[in-house]
Formats: sequence, C-alpha cells, structure tokens
Amino acid sequence: MDLVLRTAIVFVLILVVTRAVGRRELSSMEPFDIILLVVIGDLVQQGVTQSDYSLTGTAIVLATLAVLSVTTGYLSFRIRRLRPLLEGEPIVLIADGELRRRALRRQRITVDELEAEARQAQIASLRDVRFAVLETNGHISFLTG
Amino acid sequence: MADHFQSLASGDEPRALNRGLWARRVVMAALAAIPILGLAGVLGQEAHTSSVASEGVDVTLRAPATLRGGLLFQSRIVLTAHRHLEHPRLVLDRGWFEGMQVSSITPDPQSESVQGDRTTLTFDALDAGTTTTFWLQFQVDPTLVGRRPYGVEVQDGEVPLARLHRTITVLP
Repeated sequence: MDLVLRTAIVFVLILVVTRAVGRRELSSMEPFDIILLVVIGDLVQQGVTQSDYSLTGTAIVLATLAVLSVTTGYLSFRIRRLRPLLEGEPIVLIADGELRRRALRRQRITVDELEAEARQAQIASLRDVRFAVLETNGHISFLTG
Repeated sequence: MADHFQSLASGDEPRALNRGLWARRVVMAALAAIPILGLAGVLGQEAHTSSVASEGVDVTLRAPATLRGGLLFQSRIVLTAHRHLEHPRLVLDRGWFEGMQVSSITPDPQSESVQGDRTTLTFDALDAGTTTTFWLQFQVDPTLVGRRPYGVEVQDGEVPLARLHRTITVLP
C-alpha cells in the first residue's frame, strides 16, 4: 500500500515541479540539465522504492504511474478548466508582428533566443513573423505572412 | 502530396481506432488492478495479528503475511504468562530465518539453539501475570521467493504451552 501512495505523491510532486520550473527550461536541455535530470531520477527512485528490490514492487510503481498518467490525460481532456493547470496554455510572444516584451520577460526568453528559434524555423528575421507562440511543450511556433 | 494519405483515409476505421483502442483499454484495466491490489495490502507488508490462548500463556503475533524482496519489516510477539515460566522459549518456524537478514531481536535471548528446522530462543524467567513484548526486525533477502511456515511455539523448558500457526509469503 505504501508503495502506491509514495508513487502517487512523487507523481504529484513532479507535476508541480515541472509546471513551476517552466516549459522553456524543460524543452531546451543543456548538458547540466540532463545530468540534473538523471540525479533527480535517482533521488526519486530512492524515495519511492526504498529498499524494495522485487519485481512486484517494480510492477506496482510502473502500473501506478501508468494509471496516474492516463488519468491526468483524461481529466485534462474532459475538464477544460483543468487543462491550464495540468498542461499549461500557449503564450503569444509576437502578435501581429509586435514583440510582446512582457510575455518574453515572464518566460525568461531573450530576443536573441527568439531570433535563434526563428532561424531554426527557416525565418531570416523577426520582422517576417506575424505570430510567435510558445506552445505547452516548450517549443515556439512561428506564423509568417 | 495528398495521395500519400489516400490509403490511410479511405476504407474502414484503422485498427488503431477500434481493436487497438480496446486492447489498450484491456491492458490499462489490468494495470489499474495492480495499484488497487497494492492499496488493499495484497501485495505486501501489511501487518496482521494472530493470537492463541492456552492455560499457561497467551501469545499474540503481529507480522506481515506477505512481503517483497529487500523489504525491512518487523514482527512483534506479545506473551502473557498465566503461571511462572522458569525457562520461557520461543520456538520459531524456519520461515523466520530462511532468507532473512536479522537486524535485531529485543530483548536479547539468553541462548539460541535448534529443534529440527526450527530455531529456539530462550529468555529470562517470566512471573505469572506478566506481559512481555519481543521485537524482531528483519530484511528479506532480495532473491527469496515463496511461502514458508512462520509459526511460533511457546515452551517452558521442553514443555510446549501454546502454538500459533502462520505462514509468510515472499513475492518475487
């Protein structure tokens, strides 16, 4: 029983942390972030399974995570009000060709970074961008023309 | 370009939307059963209490009935003596020690010996009317699997006073 409860608590904790850290940090992984992720995984494992070395314990944790993940996805799909809480909302960074500096500042994105993202989308200049949207997965979509 | 999608768009619903969906639902239902069993305590470490009473002594054992490899756990034996026991002994079935790492036994027994595949712990004398609690802490060997006898018999010297039958199951 304790294994299911510990897994559920860690699931909620990870959900809260990922929502609090911000989508940009999670979508662009630097080497430091990758190492930190591995360390966090190890620490979480110790907290969840502790001294349990059994296959049964592994099955309980995996099944609990799967059920919680599907439940979260279903709730997000069915209940519109929960969606911003569970997945976040797209944030407009450029609207009608105008930079939204407040949105950029709040998402800790510099104009240089935005330009770099635009170049990766084969866009030479931000002047060509009509809309730029920071999607819930951390990637930036550009609409030109 | 749209030609590439013609084969996907035409015809009946793709298998991913009918049979595939139902297969996923069946698997998810099976997965959902695992945490439910875990919450119900079927998959381990929930402690259960068993008791037996005799003329000479009452015995209560509180210990998990199901465990998993690697888990730390505790068993508690409570003895209430109805008469003076000069040489109280706990005779423990083989499941107590087979594949178990002993962390501690409190109070310390005066001596330890074996009776067949059972282990005998002898303690100080108990006066009539006294209640004594024995704490035994273990860790399950990660490779241990299966069901074993986990009963306890109380003896005064060589004389059996009460026997409590239990089993312990270690899941893989």
